[in-house]
Amino acid sequence: MDSNDDTEDVSLFDAEEETTNRPKKSKIRHPVASFFHLFFRVSAIVVYLLCELFSSSFIACMVTIILLLSCDFWAVKNVTGRLMVGLRWWNHIDEDGKSHWVFESRKASAQESKTVSEAESRIFWLGLIACPVLWVIFAFSALFSFRVKWLAVVIMGVVLQGANLYGYIRCKVGSRKNLTNMATSYLGKQFLKQNTGDEQTS
Amino acid sequence: MRSHIREFDSSTLNESVQNTIMRDLKAVGKKFMHVLYPRKSNTLLRDWDLWGPLILCVTLALMLQRSSIDSEKDGGPQFAEVFVIVWFGAVTITLNSKLLGGNISFFQSLCVLGYCILPLTVAMLVCRLVLLAEPGPINFMVRLFVVIVMFAWSIVASTAFLADSQPPNRKALAIYPVFLFYFVISWMILTFTPQ
Repeated sequence: MDSNDDTEDVSLFDAEEETTNRPKKSKIRHPVASFFHLFFRVSAIVVYLLCELFSSSFIACMVTIILLLSCDFWAVKNVTGRLMVGLRWWNHIDEDGKSHWVFESRKASAQESKTVSEAESRIFWLGLIACPVLWVIFAFSALFSFRVKWLAVVIMGVVLQGANLYGYIRCKVGSRKNLTNMATSYLGKQFLKQNTGDEQTS
Repeated sequence: MRSHIREFDSSTLNESVQNTIMRDLKAVGKKFMHVLYPRKSNTLLRDWDLWGPLILCVTLALMLQRSSIDSEKDGGPQFAEVFVIVWFGAVTITLNSKLLGGNISFFQSLCVLGYCILPLTVAMLVCRLVLLAEPGPINFMVRLFVVIVMFAWSIVASTAFLADSQPPNRKALAIYPVFLFYFVISWMILTFTPQ
């Protein structure tokens, strides 16, 4: 009886995999958007690290980094997020003057053209998470090595890229209530697995 | 209200990149117009954005550079100084108005204060042009006049937008830091010498 169940489970899993594999292609559907998503962030970091080699003018480097950080913030918030992973966040002020932060994610629809591709999603999240971490490291290094004149730019990098990271994580996770629900259900499942595992071995 | 927001969402989630760029550029341009002709309207407050203040701050900081002879100390600290004064000053004023009980959000206040630096940026441009002529008392008087006029314009524009959000007996307490903020910027502009 157990083996029958196992084979049934395997065949069901195979059938599901065939139907779910089709929409999730690993092709990159928006190559230009993917390129620009990484281009602005990586070039801002490269210019910051190599500024002393490129030009002796502190101001030119600072203005270039500020421009790259601003373009990156705008591109990631308004374009690459919704093209690559179908998420968007913004601030909305209603008639009473109260401000609401809106986090939106595209519903999984039956249309193939609008689903998320694995490769793009990986590129997006990799770029989104790695760069703010690097800017935080730069902030500490600028603080402790007393290169204080760079601190303004580094703090701007941390704030802008951290804001995008925070916004997209909240879009992905839904509302805060969903986060706690997810965490409790995950812990509950782990707990249950452990208990049933113990029962089977004993 | 909820469904209205949802419809707005799906229309912007699938729009083309060009539409997004044009929409944001038009919003920034509209706000610049509102600063130049201040009327009591809600546009600056409702759809706030910080692109205008960033552009103005960078332009002002670039124009306030002294051309120095040695390239190592090429005005680095002054550039960062202007940046820090503008943003730190705006944040302080916003915190002050929130503590006084104003019902304006953090970013809205930053947006208004940043956009109202436009007249002073124009004053800086005019001053730099005037400084190309020969120095003297007339030169100084012209610059003083221009800076005073633009300073008054900034104050009028920002109070037109910010005053309504304060309770009536606290208006003066909320406005005087704005006065100080623009005064400091005007002072930096007036005392600027290119060498």
